Amino acid sequence: MSAATRRRLLLAIVPLFAAVVMLQARQNPVIREMRGRERTPLIGLSTEFILGPMLGLGQAVAGLLWVRADEFFHEGDYDAILPLVRMITWLDPHQLDVYITGAWHLAYNFTDSGHRSDRRYIPPAQALLREGFHNNPTVYDIAFELGWQNSDKVRNFHEAEQWFREATVRSTTDEQGRKQPPPMFTWHQLAHSLARQGLIDESIATWRHVLSLTDAQLKEARERNDPQAWSLANVRANQLHNLTLTLKRKFSRFTHEIDFVVDGKQTKSIDMQTGRPSPPNAYLATRPNEGVPIGQPRLPALAREWETAFDARVTFPEPMVMEPRGDFAMGDGARVTIRLHDYDWRPTQLEEFTFRVDQTQTIMIDQHSVRNYAWGRTIDMSRDPKMYSFTRPEYFLVFEFDPRGTSPFIQDRTGWCGEGMTDRRFLVVKRQSNPNSPPVRLIRKVFRLTRDHILNGAPVTDADIVPNADYSRIMGEVVLSPTRRAGLAP
Amino acid sequence: MVTFAIARQTVEDMLRRKILLILLIVGVCLIALGPSLGFLTPRESSAVLRSLGLAVILIAGLLITVISGIQVIPTEIERRTIYTVLSKPVQRYQFVLGKFLGGIMTVFVMIVAMGIVFLGVLFWHEKVFAPDMLKGVLMTFCQMMLLGALTIFFSTFAPPVVNFFMSFGLFIVGNLSTVTESLTENRNPVTAIMATIVHYTIPNFGNFNIQNKLIHPEIVIKNEMVFLTQNVVYAVLYSAVLLVLAILVFDKREV
Amino acid sequence: MAVALSIQGLTKKYLDVWNKEEITAVDDLTLEVEEGEIFGFLGRNGAGKTTTIKMLLGLIFPTSGTASVLGKPMGDTEAKSQLSYLPENPYFYENMSGWDVLDFYGRLFRMGEPTRTQRIEKCLNDVRLDKRAWRRPLRGYSKGMLQRIGIAQSLLNDPKLLFLDEPTSGLDPIAHAELRDIIRDVGKQGKTVFLSSHQLPDVELVCNRAAIIHRGKLLTSGPLSELTSGDKVEVLAESVPDDAVEQIRALCPAVERSNGRVRVTAVDPGQVNDIVDIVRGRKGSVTAVLPHKRTLEEVFVDTVLRAGGD
Repeated sequence: MSAATRRRLLLAIVPLFAAVVMLQARQNPVIREMRGRERTPLIGLSTEFILGPMLGLGQAVAGLLWVRADEFFHEGDYDAILPLVRMITWLDPHQLDVYITGAWHLAYNFTDSGHRSDRRYIPPAQALLREGFHNNPTVYDIAFELGWQNSDKVRNFHEAEQWFREATVRSTTDEQGRKQPPPMFTWHQLAHSLARQGLIDESIATWRHVLSLTDAQLKEARERNDPQAWSLANVRANQLHNLTLTLKRKFSRFTHEIDFVVDGKQTKSIDMQTGRPSPPNAYLATRPNEGVPIGQPRLPALAREWETAFDARVTFPEPMVMEPRGDFAMGDGARVTIRLHDYDWRPTQLEEFTFRVDQTQTIMIDQHSVRNYAWGRTIDMSRDPKMYSFTRPEYFLVFEFDPRGTSPFIQDRTGWCGEGMTDRRFLVVKRQSNPNSPPVRLIRKVFRLTRDHILNGAPVTDADIVPNADYSRIMGEVVLSPTRRAGLAP
Repeated sequence: MVTFAIARQTVEDMLRRKILLILLIVGVCLIALGPSLGFLTPRESSAVLRSLGLAVILIAGLLITVISGIQVIPTEIERRTIYTVLSKPVQRYQFVLGKFLGGIMTVFVMIVAMGIVFLGVLFWHEKVFAPDMLKGVLMTFCQMMLLGALTIFFSTFAPPVVNFFMSFGLFIVGNLSTVTESLTENRNPVTAIMATIVHYTIPNFGNFNIQNKLIHPEIVIKNEMVFLTQNVVYAVLYSAVLLVLAILVFDKREV
Repeated sequence: MAVALSIQGLTKKYLDVWNKEEITAVDDLTLEVEEGEIFGFLGRNGAGKTTTIKMLLGLIFPTSGTASVLGKPMGDTEAKSQLSYLPENPYFYENMSGWDVLDFYGRLFRMGEPTRTQRIEKCLNDVRLDKRAWRRPLRGYSKGMLQRIGIAQSLLNDPKLLFLDEPTSGLDPIAHAELRDIIRDVGKQGKTVFLSSHQLPDVELVCNRAAIIHRGKLLTSGPLSELTSGDKVEVLAESVPDDAVEQIRALCPAVERSNGRVRVTAVDPGQVNDIVDIVRGRKGSVTAVLPHKRTLEEVFVDTVLRAGGD
């Protein structure tokens, strides 16, 4: 080849390559659009895992890995599952089960020797779910799981409500690959999360709405002679039960007995619009010691204000072994939350998913049931130094009763948001994050602890009590001035 | 004619290689086994079938391309068959082009064979003809053409083992084009500039990965035909650049 | 007579990467081969024979010097269509049959049908390849059969100039002899043959001219008769009495006796008359007086040793 030809060839590369670069620039936005939803960061993934997808196996390898993850699960080796979860979701960002199960492992299955879950893994669990939601925005599954975790584990019912709402407007796919509306239970959980925030009217409206959806489906199914009609009828019965119950509670929450009496006979009939007894001359039957006269129809109102007479004490008989004890004049089964956390810990959200958590962080949450007006048992943190490193100089130890998450039969006494509950010393009235919700009244006693208390057993005294107003300010809560009574009564 | 004769001879020689035959048989068997793997995710068996088929075609195509690409010129030199060819009235560029065309025609034959089996399995299993999958097969072929040009270029100066790692390495980096693209907007200017250079200069194999889109129909892109056409043109132009470079290097190569 | 091949000052140097040493494979080689010659290019292994041929074909590039091949520069495509090359120990595409390989090479020579088929048939017949083997894959061929395919491919384009690199190495005696005949036939057709070899008897049998190359340097070149001709004379005699033999031996020590015959190799032509006189004076009979001709082997060894070979 002559030198001139070589030069010409070399020059020919210039326009060719320019065209290549221009083409790439044109393809970039399309590819970004195509992959935009698959935002799955590689952080935390070792490089050898990257080879798998390079080999192009994608979904196929992901499926096989998930089988392997299942084996680990049955062996109880939860730690081995997480890298697999990361790898599978990277290989195939559309495997919903993997996000959901992975997040479940993170939030529930890492526990200390007393089966208290490691709260440090909740932000990663939620970040993983949000990433899955981002990658699969058309299906309900992951939004529902986010709602469930927030409701069941985090007890943030406002956040839960928003995710359940997301779930209800998304779809699912049936065996034939057709798009279908999400299951009814997404609506049920939405209604529950509303009730937990004290948004009773919204909750009732949701029950009514899902009931109408079910009615329509049931009609259609019966016309088609679909065997599914039977299970739909069951679902409908449950929905009706829940609607009735909520209506009754709205009308007469603070009695223990919510059957009505007509001519001396009990009836469960209510007016499905108002929740009042039906027929209207029916009256509520209550026990005499509740202080409400028998035979008198009642307006929905608080039975009386309920002094909880709360108190909490704590000792450290051994390093990292805590003995909390307390009084609580609330029915058996009410649960007091004990929260021991670094002075600088705040509930946070992770922007991007990562397995790495701050190993120096300490956050312990436990719940103790009330029995005979008392509560408390030993909390041994000494056997899990990895979870409880106690590296900070100071800690907050919080004893709390939040009526929003408590069982319905306790709520019959306290109200949804503590309306019927008061305490001479430890009442906090806090604004909920949902601006439509009534303020929540909760009982709380806070101590400021040092390493000296926790590790050396220095006695915890009244001098260590943190005023509730101070703690609320530190945690960024908006508190209202505590009143003896919430305003449900006429 | 000379170029085509070399290409034809290359195809015939390649198709007689046992290793390629084995790859083809394994690939076809894996695709045919696809339906039985549906149990992995019962709800999405059709997605597994599609992704497995496309993945197998990609992997088999990848191995076939790399194996034939890194060998095709060094083998001729090592076995001294190249002496009998280049001592004939054959220009060196004709030799390079012929070898490239031969290699890529071999890959084409293999991919078409597996593609036919794939569509057949899909048709048999779902009773639908899935022309959409052909787009995936076409993109895989374009990807392999680009990779083939790359290995041919490297083979003009690098021994096969070195070539293997260079080609495979670039294939991996090129497949991470979404990563390099996102890094072009990095806050660190050095990273951003490096990423821009890498993103625009290395062959972006990632452009051709449309499997996810094909398997998950809810992902919609505008102007799909324009996108696919531009991908084909990209593969052709970039291959041309690599082949010109290969010709320039090989012209000065002592054999 | 026209010049088929003209080499001027051709030099090839390699850099030995490991020892960082420059190795001169071919050193300032100047040579001419005329059309129609069978030219023997002699040298030991590694003398630079193959390197020279590869440069002439444009497979590698000289460090300095020029050459014209059939009047064209080295590696010229037009020239290449009129020449052919049989590499040392050639290896062809083993999965292809002999016929297919030749068909492929025919296409490279841009031969159309039916010329291609005719040429292939003729060449395969010329090299006396068993017809049953034509369509069998080459991997089943013996070394001799492969070499026949090699020769056949070098005859395919009816070339003016053939470069044959060690065409007979590694063959059994019969194949060897047959191949030598084939090459001689080629020469008889008026083709120029550039035969690189260290099989000296072959070269001696088939070549008109030869050159000896050693460590990249040309030691000598010329017509074969000139190279082998010597300045000694041999006297053969019979019935020479013993004392006469001693008399001759005193004159010239190279005397051999057997069965009454005496063979004397005289270094100085002046001695020949004296020796003949002694024989005839003792009633012996002189049967022959011959100029002494050296074998190529002697020439080669002699030349190389003189050049400091070991």
